[in-house]
Amino acid sequence: MSITRRDFLASGLLAGAAGIVVPPVLARGVLAAANDGVHNNRVLVVVQLGGGNDGLNTVVPYADAAYHDARPGIGVAVDKVLHLDAAAGLNPVMTGMKALYDAGRLAVVQGVGYNNPTYSHFEALHVWEYADPQRRATDGWLGRLLATQMKDASNPLAACALGQTGTPTELRASGATVSVISSVKGYDVQGGAVRQAAAPALYRRTPGVYGALFDQALSTAETGIGALKKASTYSPAVAYGSTATVYGSKNSLADALQMTAQMIVTQPAVKICHVVLGGFDTHQQEDQRQAALLTNVDMAISSFMKDLDAHGVADRVVLMTWSEFGRRVKENGSRGTDHGSAAPVFVVGAPVKGGMYGAAPSLTDLDSGNLKHTTDFRSVYQAVIQDWLGGDASSVLGASFPQLSLLRA
Amino acid sequence: MSTAAPAPRRGIRLSRRQALGLAAGGALGAAGLRVALLHPAGLVTPSTPASAAGGAGAWASPLGSSRALAAHLLRRAGFGYTGAELDAAAALSYGDLVDKLVTQAPQQPPVLATTDQFNYRTVSRWWYAHMATTTAQLPERMALFWHGHLTSDYRKAANFPYVHKQNQLYRELGTGDLRSLLLGVVYDPLMVRYLDLDQSSAKAPNENFAREVMELYTLGAGGYTEQDVREGARALSGIRVALLDSGGTPMPLPKRQAGSTPQEYVQQLVRLLDGGARFAGVLQPRMHDQGTKTYLGHTGAIGPDQVVDILLAQDACAPFVTTKALTHFGMPSPSRDTVTRIATQFRASKYDIRTLLRAIFTSSEFKDPANYRSLVRSPADYMVAAMRATGRTALAQQAVNAGGGMDQVLYDPPTVAGWPVNAAWVSSSAWLGRVNFAQMVVAAKGAALPDVRTALHTQLDGVVGPGTAGVINAAATDQDRWYALLASPEFQLK
Repeated sequence: MSITRRDFLASGLLAGAAGIVVPPVLARGVLAAANDGVHNNRVLVVVQLGGGNDGLNTVVPYADAAYHDARPGIGVAVDKVLHLDAAAGLNPVMTGMKALYDAGRLAVVQGVGYNNPTYSHFEALHVWEYADPQRRATDGWLGRLLATQMKDASNPLAACALGQTGTPTELRASGATVSVISSVKGYDVQGGAVRQAAAPALYRRTPGVYGALFDQALSTAETGIGALKKASTYSPAVAYGSTATVYGSKNSLADALQMTAQMIVTQPAVKICHVVLGGFDTHQQEDQRQAALLTNVDMAISSFMKDLDAHGVADRVVLMTWSEFGRRVKENGSRGTDHGSAAPVFVVGAPVKGGMYGAAPSLTDLDSGNLKHTTDFRSVYQAVIQDWLGGDASSVLGASFPQLSLLRA
Repeated sequence: MSTAAPAPRRGIRLSRRQALGLAAGGALGAAGLRVALLHPAGLVTPSTPASAAGGAGAWASPLGSSRALAAHLLRRAGFGYTGAELDAAAALSYGDLVDKLVTQAPQQPPVLATTDQFNYRTVSRWWYAHMATTTAQLPERMALFWHGHLTSDYRKAANFPYVHKQNQLYRELGTGDLRSLLLGVVYDPLMVRYLDLDQSSAKAPNENFAREVMELYTLGAGGYTEQDVREGARALSGIRVALLDSGGTPMPLPKRQAGSTPQEYVQQLVRLLDGGARFAGVLQPRMHDQGTKTYLGHTGAIGPDQVVDILLAQDACAPFVTTKALTHFGMPSPSRDTVTRIATQFRASKYDIRTLLRAIFTSSEFKDPANYRSLVRSPADYMVAAMRATGRTALAQQAVNAGGGMDQVLYDPPTVAGWPVNAAWVSSSAWLGRVNFAQMVVAAKGAALPDVRTALHTQLDGVVGPGTAGVINAAATDQDRWYALLASPEFQLK
């Protein structure tokens, strides 16, 4: 099965038009028949929270006494929590996410993880990035999706890593082309027309083991620069607060998501965007540090959603968050938490059927002090690949997983 | 510098016949074209083009020539070189050259004003300036290597001069023995802050450093259990950063006066440091868990120093560190045999880092023609190499500013594992950052650029691919040619 180049070109021509909804099952059938009539202008935005976000202080099981027992220093008080239901509520700084929940646009998937979790950042990252708890896969899950199902969509803007300078591992795969754009303004060859001709010309048929990779980097940049120069204008419809300082740091996620909105609004080819905010490895002073980070997440995502609404593209975009692990149930002696396991995932957007999904893990039936997951993370991947992008999830993930119906019919 | 440099011609003409004719067997584009840019005397018979399996094929490796092999070594054991430096290196036998490089003593950079030691960007600028000018390049390269391996970021050093202190530690101990270096790291104020050792006590051990010292610094994943993490955290508990007076006696850290600015507090600390005080990690017995631990198979009242010795006694340690060094200095995917052989020498030398480097540089795998241009220069490496190749060494501030666009801000690694290497540096954005740095260098005010014709041989061994050859042929000025050289794929490799 393959989403053909023409599909993506066609979808590009339809950008801005109302999304034509093809039921996923039908879409797959149609795609299998290589029918070029499938139009799909949908975008997936992946937000990585690097370092292991503490899920229990993000979606707080406020009604459970065991939570307050385990978190005497950094626990969120019951009266501060933004209640989602009778058991769980959001961290008090996440007022924008609460509004999205109330509007039915935020799905909270609880207890997301996998069997035999690892507590190493790098192993856990590997599991999530490659969608492979055995850590044998060599290509990132989004890269596999790109390379195997969108490989004819050779437009380098189909997958964009924004506000970053390196290619995220999830998007790395042989055959996947990724534009890495740290800032739209700086995404150019400096020094005038002679340099702009020379730089890409240096990278033609470069020999050696890195030759193809090098040449692709420059040709990707060249095409992207050209597309950005020709793009329609965009200005944000809301203030993202990216220059406001929260507890001493600027909101780089807001910058990255504003750039994401710009790409979605001006570039019909965009299918997958990846942004990242680091700093969640809160071994100490978690109460202050995580509150600052979640404030940034909340401002960035809620501004992004308002901006998409204002530009009339909200129906085309689903955003999901992930982090390599949650954190230990019991706080440590440094007002922080050590590495843990399962945690909630947010899936956000106008096409999302808001609400609570999955069971909240028990706070007393633990595995070495860590939560036992209730939802496999690949069920979330499956939902966004299959139900949202219209791809074939099992070929990307290697198996089928219990279904999560996170999207509106 | 070769005194027999030919009279410069106007422009550089690589004829189509030359370029094509030199690729043996008509394998056009299949091999890196060994181009004759000067005069026929400079021409070397091309090596056999590699198989067409790799699309554009392999570089026509020049490593059979002693001069090219010396250049290959200089690019890896240091950052970069001028034509004169390559001439001097190539005049030595390869063994003597390796000896000369690995026995270099660290060269102290000029003293950095105490006030400037408090800001990671001024420290980074000072460091770039030293990397670009020191005559002892290998110890400086090792300082950069350890900064990536035993990494720390600047944030938790806020208002304290810890970044500067760690920078000196890696220069001072980076070419010595691994044990001394690891002990230095365990008590290094920046590391103590970065991985929360100063948050760890007998009552509440913090696992952060205990895990990473095994997983990332010495053994690798799989070399330990979760129980070892917990026991290691107990063994490493109780380290705190203290201010010591000139006699080594702890003195109270001055409290910041209510109403005083951060700058005023820094000045208060500056006066103490200028008076001989220094910061250091110190084991506080009252906060240290004195109990019995079982750590990596050893049982006893283990403390931080024993942790280091137990780590070094693990069979996984030498291969792990050797593999890391090989991927930076040797080859991107060293074979198991290579790792085992060099790790055995490393461990037998009691973890002498110079022995490790000598073993890498003198290995047949290092000198293998197929190992030519097998590593990607890191952004810091690339920028320093560009400064050294052009002699425009006063661009340290520009290097600090440009690093972010190429994915490397010193003292701000992406994760606690430091920076990934080789292919992981490559992205559309990072490559724009690199070509734009090349433009900054050639457009900078300063000394005239060296002769570009010579530089194409000294910097690129005269081995260029079709893209670079085409741009150089079409270039109108020497500045354009220097731009092509520095921005070229060839110059990104080593």
